[in-house]
Amino acid sequence: MWDATVDGRRLTFHLSGINNQNFIMRDEETGSWWQQVSGEAIQGPLKGKKLTQVFHDELSFGLWKREQPRGRVLKPDPALAAKYAAEDWERQIDQMKVVVPAANNEPLRPRELIAGVRINNAAKAYPIKGLLEQSPVIDDLGGAPLIIIVGEDRKSIRVFERNVDGRTLEFYARPGIEPLQLVDSQTGSQWDFSGKAVSGQLTGKQLVPVPVLKDFWFDWKLYNPQTSVYAPGVR
Amino acid sequence: MNVKKTFSFRNRGINWSLFLTLVLIAAVTVFIPAWLIMPFKAQSASGVALSYFLKSMSPVVTAIALLSAIALGVRIWSLERLIGRVMLIPALLVVTVSFWFARQNHFEWMFNPLPNPGFATAGEAGFIKDSDMVMAVALNGESAAYPVRQMAYHHLVQDRVGAVDLVATY
Repeated sequence: MWDATVDGRRLTFHLSGINNQNFIMRDEETGSWWQQVSGEAIQGPLKGKKLTQVFHDELSFGLWKREQPRGRVLKPDPALAAKYAAEDWERQIDQMKVVVPAANNEPLRPRELIAGVRINNAAKAYPIKGLLEQSPVIDDLGGAPLIIIVGEDRKSIRVFERNVDGRTLEFYARPGIEPLQLVDSQTGSQWDFSGKAVSGQLTGKQLVPVPVLKDFWFDWKLYNPQTSVYAPGVR
Repeated sequence: MNVKKTFSFRNRGINWSLFLTLVLIAAVTVFIPAWLIMPFKAQSASGVALSYFLKSMSPVVTAIALLSAIALGVRIWSLERLIGRVMLIPALLVVTVSFWFARQNHFEWMFNPLPNPGFATAGEAGFIKDSDMVMAVALNGESAAYPVRQMAYHHLVQDRVGAVDLVATY
């Protein structure tokens, strides 16, 4: 999700190419080419400029609706209904080939789905399979203490910095409760999936959300060559 | 008589060489980038740079090629008999198609854009299931969601949320 305004000019983007399975967009105003995953202009008059990232979530509709009952949802274009991705599209894509050459000793297979986090110039890939088993995951990245949470829908993933007023918190999930409820070990306050303390001493406090990109390992690695991979028990 | 015959033969040859060179230039200008940035192929930085260069030149290059090819074609027509004239037609067609293709965005044929996106309120959105994923954004008190199954097709949608112009990409 990007701010479409660059140097005071609102740009109009079109899908216009592909670069190693990540698409290129072209802006009408200058004709520059932009790489989707990095938001960087790679060709044309604006080459080197970067779009400003706008924080967004990837959530299940059910969770989103609960948090944003007054929000609006993009309608499908009825003329294109047959072209939209099928319900099992992720499984289909999983079978597609990968053209980026894979190095030896890759820790994950190319189309392994990961939650990618980048903070303070450090990047880490959290294999989603592992997150589903372990959520919430407490970790540190680039000097920032993080918590990675999977929602009760087992699909939505959020990452927060777990610092509140200079204190670093540890969390555990209360088992078998819906909606998801987290408790911090320091104060016993209860937190919801939006990173907000809903009861206890810290009521009203909000954890700072961290952008997370659900991506294939090969694509994440291509744009974050220095990335590490989360392994349980290793911080 | 001899001189005139030689002269007319050379003239034909030059005209044909120029004409076919134009056909080749027009075709190559549009074909190379389409081939280099084809899906399911590995791309190199230099290939992407060459594609950008050719794509940005192709509207002008193919326009010049088409006009010149028509002018040369008229002259060749007057010099040629039936077979020569018939051969002009597919060659001119190649230049015309190149001229047209240079003005197309074939990625938007594959993935139609959504220039005027429509929205439903969260409660009224019957077209989406609770378990379907959305990309969600909340800015300045306004909240919008873009279903991933639609985004995986369109790849990009532009919107204005909380007075911020956005491009949602997937």
